Amino acid sequence: MAKLTFSDTEKAALAILQRDLPDSATPFADVAAQTGLSEAEVLALAQRLKDDGVIRRFGATLRHQKAGYGHNAMVAWYVEEGRDLDEIGAIFTARPEISHCYVRRSCMDWPYNFYTMIHGKSPGDCLRVVEELIAATGVPQYDILESVKELKKTSMVYFAKDDGENDDPV
Amino acid sequence: MDDLDKRILDIIQSNYPLSPRPYADIGAQVGLTEAEALARVRALKDAGVIRRMGANFQSRKLGWHSTLCAARVPEDKLDLFTAEINRHVGVTHNYLRRHAYNVWFTYIGEDAGTVSAKLRAITARTGIPILNLPAEKMFKIKVDFKMQREGDD
Repeated sequence: MAKLTFSDTEKAALAILQRDLPDSATPFADVAAQTGLSEAEVLALAQRLKDDGVIRRFGATLRHQKAGYGHNAMVAWYVEEGRDLDEIGAIFTARPEISHCYVRRSCMDWPYNFYTMIHGKSPGDCLRVVEELIAATGVPQYDILESVKELKKTSMVYFAKDDGENDDPV
Repeated sequence: MDDLDKRILDIIQSNYPLSPRPYADIGAQVGLTEAEALARVRALKDAGVIRRMGANFQSRKLGWHSTLCAARVPEDKLDLFTAEINRHVGVTHNYLRRHAYNVWFTYIGEDAGTVSAKLRAITARTGIPILNLPAEKMFKIKVDFKMQREGDD
């Protein structure tokens, strides 16, 4: 897919919007003041990218633990060749406890090809969902990857600010 | 956190108003003044319930490449490996998980070749092989959690 291009002032605005909105009653006017765009231009840029799906969500990101969803289990499934992936995907995605569902490349060391991220208020919640999914899909081979510790959680920085912050990204 | 807080969170997770006075709009939806709505959002940030507020990009639509990675890291190398992984800006999520493959992280980079090269470099520095498991099909990505139970409304 071709890379989208943005003007320098748009990049400056996106560099702020990808992090955290200014703490004020008029956050978009504040972004405008910092970047040389007008408030209307900042709002139009955000709206256009949201409408196009480039911004998949605009809003608050919560800390799940504090919001009461403290447990997550990634479950890797081995779905045999010949099964209808769309049918199985539809069963998985219908569950509100599942936030992410992907088919991924497998390899010799790791045969699993279907992934679901399941959230619950307790480990038992996640296991109950897994059992129901086994029954619903008829997929018997899976591995549960329960989270033990969050080692890093951040949001991707796509737009560097002109303050040298990302001069030497690794 | 009371019911008003939960209603505000349900609004601002997915439908933060793209308007000049977003807190006036949020307030109007839940029966608060602009100042009251802003004060509640500030309190939720101060309490750590809200991690950040802003745009979440679809890396693929920006033309970037993302993948899921896994590694079997021996206990005595865990700190070293974690430090090496976490200093990469492309690593946005990294979890220790209860499994022989115990370290699972996501890597986002400008293209597939760049990401592969970065992963090879990590392996060269740490001696730990990394499974590279890019998505072939995405069925769902949704990371807002309904605060109000059904029937609360």
